[in-house]
Amino acid sequence: MKIGIPRALLYSIYFPLWKVFFMELGHEVILSNHTNQEILNNGVKICVDDACLPIKIFHGHVTDLIGRVDAILIPRLISIRPEEYICPKFIGLPEMIRYSVPGSPELLVMDYNAYSSEEKGYEGMYRLGRELGSPHSSVKHALNKAGLRQAAYFREMEKGFHPMEIMKRMNHPSERYNTWYKDSFCTNAGLPSKMSAKNSKGTIGLIGHPYLLYDRYINMNICNKLAARGYKIRFPENSTQEKVDGACSRYPKKLFWSYGKRLLGAGLSMMESREISGLILLTSFGCGIDAFIDELLIRANHREFGIPLTTITLDEHTGQAGFDTRLEAFIDMMEWRSRYDNHISPHGAHLYSGQGPV
Amino acid sequence: MTITFPHMGRIYIPVKALFDDLGVPVVVPPPVSKRTLEIGTRISPEMACLPMKINLGNYIESMERGADTIVLTGSCGPCRFGYYGIVEQEILRDQGYEMDVVILDAPGRDPRPLLKQIQRISGSSPWTKIIRAFLNASKIVERVDELADILLRKRPRELKRGESDELQSRFEREVLKCRGSKEMLDFIAVFKEKADSIPERRDASPLRIGLVGEIYTLIEPYVNLNIENKLGSLGVEVHRGITAADWVKTHLSFDLKFKRERKLKLKKCGNYLDLCIGGHAWETIASTVHYADTGLDGVIQILPFGCMPEIVAESILPAISRERGFPVMTLTVDELTGEAGYMTRLEAFVDLLSQKKGKEYEQA
Repeated sequence: MKIGIPRALLYSIYFPLWKVFFMELGHEVILSNHTNQEILNNGVKICVDDACLPIKIFHGHVTDLIGRVDAILIPRLISIRPEEYICPKFIGLPEMIRYSVPGSPELLVMDYNAYSSEEKGYEGMYRLGRELGSPHSSVKHALNKAGLRQAAYFREMEKGFHPMEIMKRMNHPSERYNTWYKDSFCTNAGLPSKMSAKNSKGTIGLIGHPYLLYDRYINMNICNKLAARGYKIRFPENSTQEKVDGACSRYPKKLFWSYGKRLLGAGLSMMESREISGLILLTSFGCGIDAFIDELLIRANHREFGIPLTTITLDEHTGQAGFDTRLEAFIDMMEWRSRYDNHISPHGAHLYSGQGPV
Repeated sequence: MTITFPHMGRIYIPVKALFDDLGVPVVVPPPVSKRTLEIGTRISPEMACLPMKINLGNYIESMERGADTIVLTGSCGPCRFGYYGIVEQEILRDQGYEMDVVILDAPGRDPRPLLKQIQRISGSSPWTKIIRAFLNASKIVERVDELADILLRKRPRELKRGESDELQSRFEREVLKCRGSKEMLDFIAVFKEKADSIPERRDASPLRIGLVGEIYTLIEPYVNLNIENKLGSLGVEVHRGITAADWVKTHLSFDLKFKRERKLKLKKCGNYLDLCIGGHAWETIASTVHYADTGLDGVIQILPFGCMPEIVAESILPAISRERGFPVMTLTVDELTGEAGYMTRLEAFVDLLSQKKGKEYEQA
């Protein structure tokens, strides 16, 4: 069976798990195209107005697969860690797709619910595997193999690598999934070539959901733009879970959004470690979780750390030029600050010490 | 310790009675007004949902009247409401307000923290007194909702226009003069009798519209621009998909019969949505299907802008509408909602429904 996977939302995090699982079961996996203008337009057209950009784009990716596949995988990620959720829209995603995308082929709804325990999370995948007609033993085997792949992927990310870099490093001739890895990711997300350069000016923390950070089209290629200015980037996925949990424990109530927690915890631990010279919060318009998480981050930074920070909001109308201007302004501000902040002119008002009086 | 709490429809009536019974001083925030919203909007994150902005406005207006402790309920996701308390606390702290925020979370595995919180806000009253006060308060919630239901039925049928509205505003004006649950219950009983005796027109056969959506926007009249009264004055009998009493019964009581019925209702919409996705989206879908089955004329969904669960419901509703030939309209409200545009949409919807009904009648 040809199974289509939309290259959207948490695809960039869970693709080893999904891909290996279906390949081991003997299915052909077809990916939607990289996000492009047509996908975006289609998504905006068929999705309800109030939804956020990533959800609209997911709709677009589903339409992109229509006609090319026998079935489309719609993951229902209810919970990826015990006693946490992701976002209500992720839970209702299959219904949103079913009732708004016209003419879609069979939808394979894959539940993932680790709310009560980590192991339980895989039950939905097991069920789907059996529904697709594979015997118990081979589904178990496929799950095992996919789970191991996913774990290896997570470990690599925690070491500080960008998903695209990991793909490059996995490039062994013996690897069975190699060609797919390369095709599925490296080409699009825009691996900044200078990212690991030794003579970088510093590190910028980039805080945002994976579907914004690892999709070059949505985020206007921000990784490359930052690299071109000579900065290394730290992503939320580069922080270990222990660090995230530790940083979030300053709040009296447990955060119940896995990604909200990761963003907040990673942001706080980056600020605490003083490893970063600036922090960029990338958010999509109408993101309910970011509304709260960014607020907490900004307030904590303002009170305790005072690290240069900016928020950039993305939506379907975002223009490249405005985006670039804001990014450049932020980097300029950051650099001027580190260069001139401590120069106090003895002669009165100066804009900054390199110039004469204003 | 002087306690205050956020507004949510008429929930202030039972909450005041509760704290009166416990002998704890309480400040009822002034009714939600433009000022409340302005204060809240100024200090909240831009993308926060409307209820939170109004909550913050309530707190600050209550503080001006001497409150120093905020009590609010919590939940554990995935809806944003569960983290209101923490974010609000952070914001108030930065604004320079020193407030105690007590969040009453549904107990997880260990109920002790919740019990401790309850003891703290009840001025260390004995447990028997606390339980009695809670039971009385939940009785008041029910009575208040019953009164509201009578008025909803009367409004499109009243002989003298505006009589129900007048009774309602008198009730709201005077109810806060009562102290304690006993006085409150007696007072409500008097008004229920008065409401029951509002004379009706004989020939009235009003349109019937169900209101579904996010609970806060449904039951807080300032936020939904008093939709119940507006529809009533357009000659519509309003049915409410979710009420404060439902919420209390679902989360705080042992009313098994109600819980069973609720489950049955939720299961009925299984082919559209068959799991909880947070907030009240499931109830929205279930109530819409229920209303379509019971022959109502249409449904209006109300949600605050950016409400995550209701957006999912919003994208399912058109399918129900299509498959059952059942009119559904969605209204999104936020701090910029203008009354005139809102009224126009309500009038247009009601016009369409009455034309549809007239046509069906002719064909029959």
